[in-house]
Amino acid sequence: MLAIRHLKVAYGITEVLRDVSFEVPQGRIVALLGGNGSGKTTVLNTLTGLVKPVSGSITFEGKECAGLAPDAIVRAGICQVPQGREVWPGMTVHDNLELGAATRRDWPGIRSDLAEIYAMFPKLADRKKRYAGSLSGGEQQMVAIGRALMARPRCLLMDEPSAGLAPAIVGDMVDTILALNRRGLTILLVEQNIGVAAAVAEFAHILQGGEIAFSGPAAGLVDNPAVLRSYLGR
Amino acid sequence: MALFGRRNILLALLLLGAAAPFFVNSYQLFVANLIVVFVLLSIGLNILVGYAGQLAFANAAMFGIGAYGTGLLQVHFGLPFWMAFPLGAVIATSVGLAISLPALRVSGLYLALSTLAFAEFTRWVFLHWESVTFGAGGFKTPPVSFEPLPVSKPVGLYYLSLILATVLVVLAQNLVRSRIGRAFVAVRDGEVAAESLGIDLLRYKALAFGISGFYAGIAGGLYSAMLNYVSPEGYDLFQMVLHKAMIVVGGIASIGGSVLGAFAVVALLEGLREVKGVQEIAFGAILVVFILFMPGGIAAFLRRKVRGWDEPVHRAGPPPNPDPAAAARPASEAARP
Repeated sequence: MLAIRHLKVAYGITEVLRDVSFEVPQGRIVALLGGNGSGKTTVLNTLTGLVKPVSGSITFEGKECAGLAPDAIVRAGICQVPQGREVWPGMTVHDNLELGAATRRDWPGIRSDLAEIYAMFPKLADRKKRYAGSLSGGEQQMVAIGRALMARPRCLLMDEPSAGLAPAIVGDMVDTILALNRRGLTILLVEQNIGVAAAVAEFAHILQGGEIAFSGPAAGLVDNPAVLRSYLGR
Repeated sequence: MALFGRRNILLALLLLGAAAPFFVNSYQLFVANLIVVFVLLSIGLNILVGYAGQLAFANAAMFGIGAYGTGLLQVHFGLPFWMAFPLGAVIATSVGLAISLPALRVSGLYLALSTLAFAEFTRWVFLHWESVTFGAGGFKTPPVSFEPLPVSKPVGLYYLSLILATVLVVLAQNLVRSRIGRAFVAVRDGEVAAESLGIDLLRYKALAFGISGFYAGIAGGLYSAMLNYVSPEGYDLFQMVLHKAMIVVGGIASIGGSVLGAFAVVALLEGLREVKGVQEIAFGAILVVFILFMPGGIAAFLRRKVRGWDEPVHRAGPPPNPDPAAAARPASEAARP
């Protein structure tokens, strides 16, 4: 279980997260929603160690992770699929995937994981020698997900995986997220697309003004106009 | 393997280099040695700038630190060249590691400015710490002796440079195709993604700075022995422009290109020796022309026109495998780009 308690994060004197607490139960998908600038990405970046919290705690499987270096957090089992995919354009798909295992040294394990990811995303297997920058948005998203999986995380943080994808592919992304979850991955999903969040997540938390303003079953969100209007501006 | 591919051309250059002392005069041998020294500088800088993407301007200073270190250890402590030379390279490497610390906080133009400031500070120390560095006049270093080998000093030094350069080119070639090299590229192409996947930025930036310091330090030691003389003006901003010109002309993020860039720049430098005032203008113009019209340098041009100039960041075949049990597994996954 990933538990976030009283997390407070500031950039200089600007407080971005005031007091954020929520949990992501083992093996579940939880969505974190909120308007632009509400601090969603900051939550993820704090979880991955890119940003150091002012106070509060982050525990994963009982281990305190707040303030650890990013590589220590990856080793602890948390890995992020960054916003905007951020694949390394000048490297082949294969190199991108392999470098996802930067914190690992177990070569046989790395190889079998690579094979598994190619089996999961057959399109990537066809394109493994292509430069990642030459792939389509959907394919790059697969690379970004596969690359994160190569770190062998038990908890995956996904930052807007549907952003910038053709509507036709968004459905595939939903299937992918559900498939990852069926393999036992705990997933924290940050989304702008409420449809995607409602389709995959069990629980949703809405972030507003640096605090969790609403928590509830994700499925209920889409038919709750009051919540949509007041927190997400729809 | 293509006939005019990278490996064949570099091999031909090496053979030509190895035979050169038998048919060139002493001036030409000096120029050949200069090329070899510049190959080292070019590769060191390309690893840092081209592969790791750190826009640093301290390479000429590192070159100077290697030269001063090697020279001063001989003059002040009476160390033989054979000890002073590696120690000079060690000093340059440590300074390289030290200046990687600001690189963690600043990047892009700010890194360029701070490393430029460091380079000017280094030159200031060379100029004004007269009790140690002998100030603006510089100092003579003791001549290097290759006893008991039956070679003269220039020839001996040339072969020493050539052997070191060959080893270090091969090393660089393997480095950039290793996991470390790919981590450099990852840091260059997406720092946030690299960091969030657990690639330790501090470690890889420091490593890139240290490696480029080492290459420049080796080059500096050899250069001081070539000239038997060390003075501050050899390690100024113009020297830095030469280094940048080598990697821009040769090709950013290309080891083969670094070698060709060193040839091109030294050839031009020697060609314009009669008209010294034009040199700086010529190099400025070349930098602009290449950046505007040939941003990938000679290497990118060759990659488009000639087979065998591709430089993937991945060697053919499976990665080094420390686990013998895994090596015995069927190589179904062995096919790699």
